[in-house]
Amino acid sequence: MLAGLRVSAFLAWKSIQRGSRGTLALTIMIIALIFVNLVFLPSIISGVVETFDAQSIDFDLGNLVIEPREGSQYIDDVTSLQKKVERIAGITGTSPRITAGVTYFYRGRNAASTLYGITPEDERSVTRIAEYMTAGEFLSNGDTDAIVMGTTLAGTEGEEAGGLPSLQGVGVGDSVEVAYPNGETRTYRVKGLFETQSFGVDTAAFVTTREMSRVLGLQDQASMILVKTAVNGREDEYKTEILSYGVQEDVLTFREKSGGFVEQAIQSFNIINTISTLVSLIIAIVVVFIVIFINTVNRRRQIGILKAIGIDQQIIINSYVLQVLFITAVGALVGIALNAGVTTYLTAYPLVFPGGPVYPDVEVSAILRSIASLFAVSMVAGYIPAWRIAREDILSAIRG
Amino acid sequence: MGRVEVRALGGVSLEVAKGEFVGIMGASGSGKSTLLHILGLLDRPTSGRVLIDGTDVLALSDHRRTLFRLNRLGYVFQDYALIGELTALENVYLTSLVRGASKAEYLERSTEILRRVGLGDRMDHRQSELSGGEQQRVAIARALVNNPSILLADEPCANLDSQTSRSILDLFARLNEDLDQTIVMVSHEDWHKEYFCRIVTLRDGLIEEMVECRKA
Repeated sequence: MLAGLRVSAFLAWKSIQRGSRGTLALTIMIIALIFVNLVFLPSIISGVVETFDAQSIDFDLGNLVIEPREGSQYIDDVTSLQKKVERIAGITGTSPRITAGVTYFYRGRNAASTLYGITPEDERSVTRIAEYMTAGEFLSNGDTDAIVMGTTLAGTEGEEAGGLPSLQGVGVGDSVEVAYPNGETRTYRVKGLFETQSFGVDTAAFVTTREMSRVLGLQDQASMILVKTAVNGREDEYKTEILSYGVQEDVLTFREKSGGFVEQAIQSFNIINTISTLVSLIIAIVVVFIVIFINTVNRRRQIGILKAIGIDQQIIINSYVLQVLFITAVGALVGIALNAGVTTYLTAYPLVFPGGPVYPDVEVSAILRSIASLFAVSMVAGYIPAWRIAREDILSAIRG
Repeated sequence: MGRVEVRALGGVSLEVAKGEFVGIMGASGSGKSTLLHILGLLDRPTSGRVLIDGTDVLALSDHRRTLFRLNRLGYVFQDYALIGELTALENVYLTSLVRGASKAEYLERSTEILRRVGLGDRMDHRQSELSGGEQQRVAIARALVNNPSILLADEPCANLDSQTSRSILDLFARLNEDLDQTIVMVSHEDWHKEYFCRIVTLRDGLIEEMVECRKA
């Protein structure tokens, strides 16, 4: 058995060492590119998911969202609920928000979008919007006549925003009129502009809770409370814990609040990825099959001679399988190097999605899965042509 | 169109003693190569028996036949049949590798045989770097490396000039005399007869004549 493997390895190595370098390099390159294709798409999908999650947590929803119980428009006794939730270990901040669909007016232009009433200090403990000011400043707790808005809503002079709400050129210091749903109208001075690259956030604006409560006639009430946790990825555990503290309101993880949007996107991406993976593996099978088929057909006589001098058929087949394993191993290594190059490039120059910049997220499991699939299909694709020729009658093989 | 059945051999009964150098001769199509293929376990007859060292080799499984070829037979082909990617030395020690010999063993044995066939200085050359005569010597060395019971040679001089042919036949004769190596060789050249102990002449698949000769 070991002697047989030794001979297979010997024949395989000599064939690789002294065979056609061009064919070998080309085959390795094809395997490497297939490997890159197998790893690249999952890494982008993973990156997209990570971006959506990060955008949701950092700018839009925090880790968890507490909403009014069914039948209520607002959460009551917000301060007390905030204190209760903030006592839970691992919860690092809460930010009540009042939400209103408003119409903004600016120099004869108008745009309908969302206006949030926030407590700036609380908001800073949950979202990172205040860190993404492109002009002016974020709100302070005492502000009553100030508004901060996303750059998409503020817009650029003379430019449409592709169907998104835009006032086309609002700047810091400008006055914007806001028509509330209850018919009240207020004029605010633009204190700052922010850009998070999350389109849902950049089309919105913020005033203080104090101001919005006054306009809408609310008292210690909120449309939602955003909750920030110390660790991402454990939202379900925190949700259970919050509910165990007797919170009667609805508690949703940011994924649940997104209405399954991310899950649907992941499912769609996974379908694309499965198709891409299958196509890649079929290409790998075809390439390896053709290379080994041509190789064995060209060496048909040699295979006959090897059998004639007493070398077992299985040793001959194994020598081809070992060649395939070598080609696949080197191809995978080259593929890993190429993938590292692509990843480095896309980290420096990320793809820009509506949710923000997407960085490829190469998971070790994806690499291992790709290597395992490549080896499996290559071995099968290498074994079959070798087996077909090696089992041929000796004299027929020698005569070619 | 169906397959055409050709009766290549019929009623051939031949016994070869240890240490004999038998020449199988005959016109083209007489069945001499077929007989050698059957003796070398490269082909199966439709009926009959082949006993080598008391073993009914036709009754062996494919795997056992392969092992028998490896351990008991040496085969020299008309066109050398070397593995082009291997050097002379590698071609010779390949079958020793299969037998599980250690590196020291197979290198020593292969080197010794290559020196014996006059290729001590050509061991690291590949097939394309060797002349026809040298390639056939490598093939002979490969056939001998595992101490076969019988060395079978299928027109080993067919592609060689007369001078080189003579050197190959001299080598066979020396192996036969010095090592008592049993050799069965197919040939159609009349002048080769002087090397054989016995000449078996085939005609239309039958033994036409069997002549005892003196050793050359």
